[in-house]
Amino acid sequence: MHPVVAIALKDLRQRLRDRSAWVLGFIAPMAVAGLISVAFGGAQSFHTSVAVVDDDHGAIATGFTQFLRSPDLHDLLTVRTVSSRADAQSKVADGVLGAAFVIPAGFSDAVTAGSSEPITVLGSVDATVAAQVARSLAESFTAHLEGVQLSVRTAVAAGAPASSVAALAAQASAQPLPEQVQPQASGARTLTAVSYYAPAMGTFFMFFAIGFGSRGWFLERSGGTLERLSVAPLGIGAVLAGKSLATFVYGAASLGTVAVVSSLLFGADWGPPPVVAALVLALALTLVGLTALVITLARTERQAEGIASILTFGLVLLGGNFVFIGQAPDAVRALARLTPNGWALRAFTDLAGGAPWTAAVGPLLAVLAFAVATSALAFALRRRVLAR
Amino acid sequence: MTPAPSTGAAPASAAARAREPARGGGDAYEDVLVASHLTRRFGDRVAVDDVSFHIAPGEAYGLLGPNGAGKTTTIRLVCGLLSPDDGSIEVAGIDVTAGATRAKARIGYVPQEVSLYPDLTARENLAFFGRLYRLSGSALRARVDEVLELVDLTDRADDRVDAYSGGMRRRLNIGASLLHRPELLVLDEPTVGVDPQSRHAIMESIRALGSSGLAVLYTTHYMEEAERLCDRVGIIDRGRLVAEGTRRELVARVGERDRILLSASGSLGSFAAACRSMEGIDSVDVSDSTVELLARDGRLRLPTVLAAASSAGASVRSVEVVEPDLEAVFLHLTGTALRE
Repeated sequence: MHPVVAIALKDLRQRLRDRSAWVLGFIAPMAVAGLISVAFGGAQSFHTSVAVVDDDHGAIATGFTQFLRSPDLHDLLTVRTVSSRADAQSKVADGVLGAAFVIPAGFSDAVTAGSSEPITVLGSVDATVAAQVARSLAESFTAHLEGVQLSVRTAVAAGAPASSVAALAAQASAQPLPEQVQPQASGARTLTAVSYYAPAMGTFFMFFAIGFGSRGWFLERSGGTLERLSVAPLGIGAVLAGKSLATFVYGAASLGTVAVVSSLLFGADWGPPPVVAALVLALALTLVGLTALVITLARTERQAEGIASILTFGLVLLGGNFVFIGQAPDAVRALARLTPNGWALRAFTDLAGGAPWTAAVGPLLAVLAFAVATSALAFALRRRVLAR
Repeated sequence: MTPAPSTGAAPASAAARAREPARGGGDAYEDVLVASHLTRRFGDRVAVDDVSFHIAPGEAYGLLGPNGAGKTTTIRLVCGLLSPDDGSIEVAGIDVTAGATRAKARIGYVPQEVSLYPDLTARENLAFFGRLYRLSGSALRARVDEVLELVDLTDRADDRVDAYSGGMRRRLNIGASLLHRPELLVLDEPTVGVDPQSRHAIMESIRALGSSGLAVLYTTHYMEEAERLCDRVGIIDRGRLVAEGTRRELVARVGERDRILLSASGSLGSFAAACRSMEGIDSVDVSDSTVELLARDGRLRLPTVLAAASSAGASVRSVEVVEPDLEAVFLHLTGTALRE
């Protein structure tokens, strides 16, 4: 066995005997991805209870209630009837209802006369999504009514007999609502929360290996084993190579395991396996570069720990591991491009959205460039290590 | 090839010089270690100043000096951990600076502190260090078992090192340097902070290794250890090797004399007068029932002294010959005590 491999295996053996390495490298990212999957899993099957307070009892008010109870909205809403606005308000406040619609008296007559009376939507700060959905439905219905009104007036102005207004209104009402706008990613599929947060958390926890690796170096030094290694017929380069190999393998195994498990258990979509593998390996190389950099910058184990923590949290905050970077302001998105994890996440999300594998080439090269840059910087500063 | 020791050191014993290498290593050599005019500076401070010495196969050489004398720097130079500013080092005929990797393969290094992985077992530690020297497979397993036996840790081989006592760790620390069967064993104060029992065990194992043909370079600031363990001793002070040789050679070199202490009764005055006229007796002191003589080669003078006592009518109850130790030599050579 080559001494470089022997050093790497020894480091891995020591690392895996440390429970925190299992927790941070494998268990925590999968647990967080699983929690996020559960927390956001409902977003794709949203359902709420709403109530209608019909103070109008007219035909159009009845039509609104029927609209809410239509098969199209069956998966989205459970519609109840409550007797009064106060009752509805109380139930919304208690969380029994997600939202409530109050149809004022004279609503149908006003619509028929060509004017309008607003439908009031009662919502709660505890159920903002339900309130938004209710508001959208009310607006959609009133928009439809306005469309019918406009159509009938246009027909009458064009010479249609006044006696045919009711028939024209019925005909216009039968027309479907205008096409809905459906947001979609640049790829063919919609990005799910778990498909974003699984790589985001995997990368975040993978970066903890920087602390492990750099602390390990200083422990070798303070424990005297580095001196013993230096007396062996290897050269310091072989020692560094062995320790880098251990960091690389641990990082790649950590993120690779998160990718496989989150895909199988939580349905996360990482993209085509070969491209994902390339990204994982590139990130693991970056880990090696960053670890080497921390070793060159720190003078003690405590310093290494501090620098590694700052680096880890700085990168994940800038890179968008905690927030959907696509929804972040332009400045934050620009900052994410200064980080390897930001580029990797961009590639993972593009691939999960159904983009072709070529979309990952640019980010992959960016991650590799980061690995080369950090390694080169560490190499340039190597005398700081050798002089100690 | 072997240089003369620097400042006034005694020449190496002919017997030691004539010995052949304990093990073949490829390069032909007489001495396992040859250090020639080593100098190493740290800034303005000269840590090692023109130090030369050599160690023959099977010879135990002690570097004796107080803390800060330059012992550890010398060892680091020998092991290739530092490069000399001047001078050269050969291990088994290989220049340590030019052929560091080959030379290092012949050296077993025991650091001052226990340098093992506490979260690995003894067997795992030894196997790892063995692999660094390209041992593998059944050869590695067999050698690990041998070394475990050698350091008397076979029963605890699969326990983690952090569960070991201090003495066990020290033994394993030495064992880890023997896996690759080095030709030169370098020990940097291996008994510092060790309890007397463990110290004794360590000394015995090092003595056994030396008798098996291994060359040993041993640094210490314990005079007793150097006297007990080393065939030759180099006294180092402020970076300079001020003297070297066997203990007797060193004592002779500085002119220190033996003390003969006699507890006696009878006509002590006549006995003292007889002693004063003897060759090799430099001074005689009588107090109460004790006669103290300062003599060169005290043990050789003893029969004559005892005969004189009998002739003078003194009755000797006990005799003790106290030979000057390295502490006295060090004091004589440097003007300071060894432990200062």
